[in-house]
Amino acid sequence: MPLALPDLQAAFAAHLAGADRPDLAAGVLGDAIPSAARLRVYRHHVQESLASALAATFPTVQAVVGSDFFRALARAFVAENLPRQPVLAEYGEDFPAFVAGYEPARGLPYLADVARLDWALNAAFHASTDERLAAADLAALPADRLLSLRLVLASGTALVSSAHPLDRIWAASQPGAPEGTVDLDAAGAHLLVLRRPDDAAFVVLSPPEARFVDGIALGKTLEEAAAWVDGEFDLTAGFARLLNLGAFAALQ
Amino acid sequence: MTTTRIAIASALAAALVLPAAAQAQGNMEKCYGVAKAGKNDCQTAHSSCAGTSKKDQQADAWISVPKGVCEKLVGGKLSTG
Repeated sequence: MPLALPDLQAAFAAHLAGADRPDLAAGVLGDAIPSAARLRVYRHHVQESLASALAATFPTVQAVVGSDFFRALARAFVAENLPRQPVLAEYGEDFPAFVAGYEPARGLPYLADVARLDWALNAAFHASTDERLAAADLAALPADRLLSLRLVLASGTALVSSAHPLDRIWAASQPGAPEGTVDLDAAGAHLLVLRRPDDAAFVVLSPPEARFVDGIALGKTLEEAAAWVDGEFDLTAGFARLLNLGAFAALQ
Repeated sequence: MTTTRIAIASALAAALVLPAAAQAQGNMEKCYGVAKAGKNDCQTAHSSCAGTSKKDQQADAWISVPKGVCEKLVGGKLSTG
């Protein structure tokens, strides 16, 4: 007996995610192509398309593990995370967390961080290039006002911190990267991902710079963020550098 | 103002008046850029005919092992686990 519409829809969604639903076939036309085969075509198409979208969003992850492994990883993710919205470029937000828990990738502890970097670059690439805060915008402010200012990171700006040398892992994964190895025991890295006029990019921050940015992202005032940084920090150079990079949104 | 506040205020203010030449360097700072191809919501890099196979992916994909540049990441090589 055919399923009622809501049950049919739920069964179809479950089928797309990989579940075995023989009861679906009764609701699907079968002639030259049997209904079970039709359903498999549809499922295969959905899973392949979403896996391809993930490969486009997470190119560095794919470069690190190779396309066969990536395909298996992507399909495992897709089965548990069908899109909840229609924009493929916004699909995969939960992928880094999934990578972190993906058993076959357990031997690559840095892989989830690579996914986080890819995601941040993807988000930055699709972020607005609206106006950035410039040093001149703040030049006229009295000292009290400057100290109590709470800046907002510009669209697409994100801090990606890793216990692994993520910048070098990323560089070694790019097409045409020079031969040679990356020492995974090297110190971790703080990367600031930015939306630039024509692309998305990242720069390497020093630990104090990263701490300062983190404080600002948490909503601290400039004074609080500066005081929050422990250790040696050239606040003038660091703040000037961040302003020059366009890391902050223009004042409202 | 306390001494600390004054020190922070001075350091911040100094960042705003760095010579233009020094500021311009920021714009030329080496970034690792990423240029992406546009992504169409109706089809990805594959044609819309991708995945019309009537069979599901072979199960042996599940036991695939990384074969990408992780070989170059010393200590990052996976045992199949």
